[in-house]
Amino acid sequence: MHIDPVEKKPFFHFLPGTSTFSLATVGCNLHCKNCQNWEISQLNPEDSQAAFCPPDKLVELAKSNNCPSLSYTYTDPVVYYEYALDSSKLAKAAGLRNTLVTAGYINKEPLKQLLKFVDAARIDLKSMSDDFYKDICSATLKPVLDSLVLTKSSGVHLEVINLVIPTLNDSPEQIRTLARWVKSNLGADTPLHFSRFYPQYKMQYLPSTSAETLDTARQIAFSEGMQYVYIGNITSKEGQNTYCPGCKTLLIERSGFTVLKNQLKNGTCPSCGKEIYGVWK
Amino acid sequence: MTRRQFIQFVLKTASAFAIAAYFLGEKVSPRKFIYALRHKTYPGTVKPLSDINTQEKWSG
Repeated sequence: MHIDPVEKKPFFHFLPGTSTFSLATVGCNLHCKNCQNWEISQLNPEDSQAAFCPPDKLVELAKSNNCPSLSYTYTDPVVYYEYALDSSKLAKAAGLRNTLVTAGYINKEPLKQLLKFVDAARIDLKSMSDDFYKDICSATLKPVLDSLVLTKSSGVHLEVINLVIPTLNDSPEQIRTLARWVKSNLGADTPLHFSRFYPQYKMQYLPSTSAETLDTARQIAFSEGMQYVYIGNITSKEGQNTYCPGCKTLLIERSGFTVLKNQLKNGTCPSCGKEIYGVWK
Repeated sequence: MTRRQFIQFVLKTASAFAIAAYFLGEKVSPRKFIYALRHKTYPGTVKPLSDINTQEKWSG
C-alpha cells in the first residue's frame, strides 16, 4: 500500500495532480513474460509479506491521508476481486473514488458488478493479436476487448495503455490496427498511452523500446483520429502533455508524474471552449 | 436371419453401445476433485503497514 500520484497509473484525464491510495495483493491471473512487476505478480501468498488491512481500515487510511481515490493496481484486481469489491463499496459510500488498473481479463458478469462502484479504469490492451496474448501472457484477446467495451459503455472513465515491445507489437501496422479498434469501439476521445518496454523477467533478451518508436506510435494514433495520445515510461516533453484536439492549445503540462500547469476551465478548453473527456473534479 | 444370428446381433450392438458410453463417461466426468485448503491465517508473513507515504516502486 502506497500513496502515488494518479499520473503514475497512468491516469491523465482523471483528477490530475491528486494522490491516489494504491494497493495490491501478490499474484496475477496473467503470466506475461515481460511483466514489469513480476516480483509480486508471479508470487504465491505463502512466499510473500503482507499487511493486514480490512476494507474499512483501508477507507479510513485513504481519507486520513487526503487521497480522493483508491487504486486497485500493481498486480491485477481480478485476483483480489472480493476484497476490491468490498472495499470499493465502502469507499464509494465514504465519498471516495475507485480506480481499477487492470489487464481486463475477466468475465462480463463479475466486471459488471465491480463497475457499479468504479469511477475510472485503466485497462491494458497488450496487442490486437490473439497469438500474442496466448504466447506472451497465457491469456486470450477477446475477453479483454469485451471488458474495454463494457467499461466504456458503463460510463466509467476509461484510459487504455499499450506496452510497445520491440519486434513483438511495435510495427506501424500493429499500432494502426490497435488505434483503429480503439477509435471505432471506444471512441476517439479515449486517452491512449503508449508505454516504453524495459527488458524484464523472461524477456531480458529484447532491447528497450526506442523513443522514436514511441513517437511514431503516437503520430500513427493521431493520424487515425485519436484525440489524446501519450507516451510513458520515458521522458518526453510533448508526449505527456494534454492538448486541445480542437485548437491545439496546451491544456495540461506534465513532467514525469508531476502536473506543472493545468489550464482547464471546468473540464473545457479555455481558448475554444471544447469539452475535454475526463473526470476533472 | 436365424434366431441365433438375431440374438448375436442384439448382444453385439448392446455391448458396442455400452463400451462407447463407458469411454464417453470416463472422458467427461472429472477424474478427481482438489479442494483448496482454507487457511485460518494468511499463509505468508504478515507485517505491519509501513512507508505508505512513499511512492511505490512497482509499475502502475
